[in-house]
Amino acid sequence: MELLESRVGRPEGGTRSCPYPVNEAMIHHWCDAIGDRCASYLEPDFADASVHGGIVAPPTMLQAWTMPGLRPEEPSTGSAGTDPDEDTRSVMQILDDAGFTSVVATNCEQEYFRYLRPGDRITHTVEIESVSGEKKTALGTGHFVTQLYNYRDGNGELVAQMRFRLLKFRPPAADAPPPDGMDRGGTEQERDRA
Amino acid sequence: MSPVVSPDRHATRSLPSVSVGEELPPLEIPLSRTLIISTAIASRDYQDVHHDPDLAKMRGSPDIFMNILSTNGFVGRYVTDWAGPEAILRKVEIRLGAPNYPGDTMTLEGCVTARDDEARTIEVSVRGRNGLGDHVVGRVVLALPEA
Repeated sequence: MELLESRVGRPEGGTRSCPYPVNEAMIHHWCDAIGDRCASYLEPDFADASVHGGIVAPPTMLQAWTMPGLRPEEPSTGSAGTDPDEDTRSVMQILDDAGFTSVVATNCEQEYFRYLRPGDRITHTVEIESVSGEKKTALGTGHFVTQLYNYRDGNGELVAQMRFRLLKFRPPAADAPPPDGMDRGGTEQERDRA
Repeated sequence: MSPVVSPDRHATRSLPSVSVGEELPPLEIPLSRTLIISTAIASRDYQDVHHDPDLAKMRGSPDIFMNILSTNGFVGRYVTDWAGPEAILRKVEIRLGAPNYPGDTMTLEGCVTARDDEARTIEVSVRGRNGLGDHVVGRVVLALPEA
């Protein structure tokens, strides 16, 4: 637990950049799939004359812009830890190594400071805001982890924030392989009965 | 998928026209396999549990299920369908419950729970139920024009 607490307030994994800038094609794909016909996202003439002054991306698309997709993860920049003897494992790795290999997302809170526009290049950083002590839940014993994501544009302006809360738990029957890569949007594999 | 769009889908509700306690018309989202996969891919989420039934079962889930980004997207769409295209989303906060599996239907319901005339915002509480129970419970804060 001490090791986990030492990670609170610290960045994890450096800065993640976006594979593609915000663009209209991806906005249309998203709106087609979600069934969203909002004119501010899709109709240039309307959007130009609107409060937005041009096409904007649906704000709930926020996470999509920095998802690695099928590309191999690029090594992120600015990872913490210069001391070779320092334990640089992330909170997720520490919990994995301790047997809390399953993950379920419980809460996602997004705040938008401005809408994103085609051409914006977004980066995000993640820090651990809190890690709970060991809790017994209906899914199994585990730790609740709250991650704070800060999203910035090309000028370094904070455009959005996200708090992502998840439970890392030890599966009662530990025969199933753990879901991979929580950091790619998360899963909601089981009902939150915690 | 029947949209809840107001008669003029270019119109946006004004702040004074909205009252606390007002209910949004419900929106039913039939959860086809295509919908669950296409929304995951549109959000660039290639985790296998959102598109590969065999791997989803191996990981202990009865089937593939909707990813969180898509749930966020449906909650956002539900509120802006009702409020109009010049409403500005400020916050979307959701808590997740029962997974959205293919073949089920999610019904979104919402209610205006606060109006802040100084900040020019309203708060809408949203609940999305499926056959298993509450898939999502949350609140959305959005800014509306004065007139």
